[in-house]
Amino acid sequence: MSVLADSGPRPAREGVGGRLSDLLWRRPGVLLALLLVPPLLWLGVVYLGSLFALLLQSFFSIDEFSGVIDRTPTLKTYGELLRPANLDIIWRTVLMAAAVTVASVAVAFPIAYYAARHARGRWKALFYLGVMLPLWSSYLVKVYAWKLILAKEGIVGWGFDSLGLGRVLEAFLAVPGIGGNSLSVSPTGTFIVFVYVWLPFMILPIQAALERVPDSLVEASGDLGATPGQTFRHVIWPLALPGVVAGSIFTFSLTLGDYIIPQIIGTSARFIGLAVYQYQGTAGNVPLAAAFAVVPIVIMGSYLAVAKRLGAFDAL
Amino acid sequence: MTAAVSFRGVSRHFGTVKAVDGVDLDIAEGEFFAMLGPSGSGKTTCLRLIAGFETPTAGRIELFGEDVSGRPPYRRAVNTVFQDYALFPHLNVLDNVAYGLMIAGVPKAERRRRAEEALSMMALPGYGGRKPSELSGGQRQRVALARALVNRPRVLLLDEPLGALDLKLREQMQDELKTLQRKVGITFVFVTHDQGEALSMADRVAVFNEGRIQQVGSPEEVYARPRTRFVADFVGGSNVLHPGVAALFGGRPAWASLRPEALRLGPPEGARITGVVTAARYLGAATRLVVDLGAGAPPDGRSDVAVLVPGGHPVPAPGTRVGLAWDAEALHPMATE
Amino acid sequence: MTILARGASALALLAMLGATAAQAQMTEVGDGEGAVSIVAWPGYIERGETDPAYDWVTGFEQATGCMVDVKTANTSDEMVALMNEGGFDLVTASGDASLRLVAGQRVQAIDTDLIPSWSKVDDRLKDAPWHTVDGVHYGVPYQWGPNVLMYRTDVFPEAPTSWNVVFEEQTLSDGQSNKGRVQAYDGPIYIADAAQYLMAHKPELGITSPYELNEDQYKAALDLLRAQRELVGRYWHDAMIQVDDVQNEGVVASSSWPFQVNLLKADGAPVASTIPEEGATGWADTLMMAADAEHPNCAYRFMEHSLSSNLQSDLSVWFGSVPAVPAACSDGSGQQTQEGCDANGFQDFDRIRFWTTPTADCSQGEGACVPYYRWVSDYIGVIGGR
Repeated sequence: MSVLADSGPRPAREGVGGRLSDLLWRRPGVLLALLLVPPLLWLGVVYLGSLFALLLQSFFSIDEFSGVIDRTPTLKTYGELLRPANLDIIWRTVLMAAAVTVASVAVAFPIAYYAARHARGRWKALFYLGVMLPLWSSYLVKVYAWKLILAKEGIVGWGFDSLGLGRVLEAFLAVPGIGGNSLSVSPTGTFIVFVYVWLPFMILPIQAALERVPDSLVEASGDLGATPGQTFRHVIWPLALPGVVAGSIFTFSLTLGDYIIPQIIGTSARFIGLAVYQYQGTAGNVPLAAAFAVVPIVIMGSYLAVAKRLGAFDAL
Repeated sequence: MTAAVSFRGVSRHFGTVKAVDGVDLDIAEGEFFAMLGPSGSGKTTCLRLIAGFETPTAGRIELFGEDVSGRPPYRRAVNTVFQDYALFPHLNVLDNVAYGLMIAGVPKAERRRRAEEALSMMALPGYGGRKPSELSGGQRQRVALARALVNRPRVLLLDEPLGALDLKLREQMQDELKTLQRKVGITFVFVTHDQGEALSMADRVAVFNEGRIQQVGSPEEVYARPRTRFVADFVGGSNVLHPGVAALFGGRPAWASLRPEALRLGPPEGARITGVVTAARYLGAATRLVVDLGAGAPPDGRSDVAVLVPGGHPVPAPGTRVGLAWDAEALHPMATE
Repeated sequence: MTILARGASALALLAMLGATAAQAQMTEVGDGEGAVSIVAWPGYIERGETDPAYDWVTGFEQATGCMVDVKTANTSDEMVALMNEGGFDLVTASGDASLRLVAGQRVQAIDTDLIPSWSKVDDRLKDAPWHTVDGVHYGVPYQWGPNVLMYRTDVFPEAPTSWNVVFEEQTLSDGQSNKGRVQAYDGPIYIADAAQYLMAHKPELGITSPYELNEDQYKAALDLLRAQRELVGRYWHDAMIQVDDVQNEGVVASSSWPFQVNLLKADGAPVASTIPEEGATGWADTLMMAADAEHPNCAYRFMEHSLSSNLQSDLSVWFGSVPAVPAACSDGSGQQTQEGCDANGFQDFDRIRFWTTPTADCSQGEGACVPYYRWVSDYIGVIGGR
């Protein structure tokens, strides 16, 4: 047998697979295109396409008498969006999203700061575990658990009572606008659960941003005379800002779109997500649902524009 | 005169690691002082102790006679040029330079004027509007210098200031730093692992090893009369002679150093010591030869020596047997550590 | 439940439709095709996997060789959409989906002669309008139930006689207000409950059906609901959440389904239910056969099975509903008893106004009534506190 003797420098690869490898080796661009085309198609056609279709729907209207969708372009549906009941929903949602975002930053920043600048080795692993663990369990399970925690006869009420602070909680719940019969049926309850559920989405980007701030910058600031407070304001905060903005995009838009939490916790008052779900799903009023869905897009667009103008992305 | 910086029995331990271990040191006002040593020798920790980024585990640190041991960095009249320059990426060059003035509450117009002045001094006029990321390494270094000097510190600390620059720029900056120090007249303390840099720039050098100072002295002292074997090895250049070899050269049977330029070649006949040339390296102004003395390799030393042959003298080819002559006072015995 | 409006406009086609559907009708039930696929509400088709005691599928499969495949749907709209896609044989349609399916020719008329147990169907349901059009049957009744008034027996020693405990602020027997302690259904169809309350208490409005409201009647119902908003802490739409609210949130009275009442009773909670003097709204489901059913013989066999087996009896226990076959309450075919049927509302059929989707064209005239889509947006406003 002359198998060894016959092979030249190296045997040519036979078959389609071999030729394909050779082609891709010679033309890396082809490989790139092969890898990119499916996701781009997905993004372009399925994702942007459906978004565009949604946008289009919002310029249709629903016939008042028959409930049939009229496909002539009109701004009537947007006019409907401005009806007081719908404006209520928009304001309620935006206020909630803003409050949730601010609170998330306040809670997330110290945690992220510790993780990025102090935690090492095992503690860092523990941090990631602690932040990610809630994400592994079902969202619904967490929300239902919170319902029990915040219930009238739940652990929070019990805790206040056993500390002799039951009246404080009652006084708080008596405040109109944020209170209710119990935490679980109050806007405050909705707020608490939103903050809890979205917190990891705030912690991780801030932590990532802070990780990229070298220790030497903090030392340099102190070296140049800045107290820790001044260093935070002039160096750490501006450099963490892209992370804060990234996190707030998550918390803000997730709150704008969520329709599960307000169904389970709170006063049953509608939020945008729930309104979209209901108008589209049960009422068949797809144009109004589409118009509602445009609201978060507009809000996020303006939010990003403002953030950019404030220099949130300067440190990117 | 009060020392600008003084260490009294200063130690800094990290757990079981003794980064700095019982250091005593005085740096005079207006001095260009170098801290030289390999990485992990404690030189950078000493710099950070002066700046206030570290606090001593034991001992005290004084700046101009004032105990600053527990004082935070923002209450010390020292400024630092960091190894990575530590320019604030979100601020432009002018705001970087004016940062310390802004913190100090200097009015906007004045801090702008002073920052631009500092930039001009560093040969960077008109660069104020750029972001640090748009500058070259050398330019960043100048901005870092301007940012530190604009605060008119009494001591300027430089952590490996030239480490990130390429060779040509490094040499140029060495001269510039030296000129700058003379111009501003304040104390410069700089950390380096490059003995050439330390010797060529500093008024005085402290050589660090394992958290302790091995020797403090002028570059000439450290080079010509290394106090310990470590200094001789690290500063380099000198022949480090095993006690047995030192005895051959007529010294005490102890570790000793002998500068290559103190050795002269002659004919092997009648010479007290002869050897065979094993290698030659042309250095331009001189040629460096390695001569094997054939004395048998001692267990913890070498039996060959380097000899510097000045330009214009004949250079024997490798394999040639040569005789050696030397000045007796050039043989310098060292502590055994 | 939604745009029945569209369905209603198509009702005009029905006479013609009935004729064409009749032609496709089968004349006898042949051998099974080996499979039958059903679109159903969750919990409607149980094969003992959730609880071994509730199984009305395995026996059918063994007897007929028709393997049952279930696709669950959570809303009537989803059901209609699935049936429009095709590929299914049967659907358990509620009253607000059934007529849409008929109008859209998605389901076919059935021959009751081919279903031997048809005679066992409750006479009150045999010709019910939600599955019978012009005397033609489009399915066999599956089950029905009322939206009862659930109350805590420790707060109400005697059953409330009026829905006013959830509509008007009052001091309850424990000396505390009902404010924050009652719930209402979180669905626009609940406007009908308010309208029904007004039928009894404001006869001058002239409401004849809670699903057919003109502008004035509709406005009165919304006003009542706005007042109720002050009393309600949270509206309910998910049965399990309501169960939890009764146990943990101090809810003492609410509109509810027998399903929750039974769950709470089984848990030892002091609750009971009643149908107050104003009557109650309710729901009724029908097993309907797709117009293009691939497995008609198996489908017919399952319809027969739904009436003749333990299905009626066990399903009514499982879901807290009333069987479509009265005998299932007492004949021992399953676990249901006459007391159970009565508790689930068996005797109250005449007091129940079954859910239908409000349309603009109603008995008060063409375009005279407020259509369902406005119910949706206005009820959202009411819950939002406007």
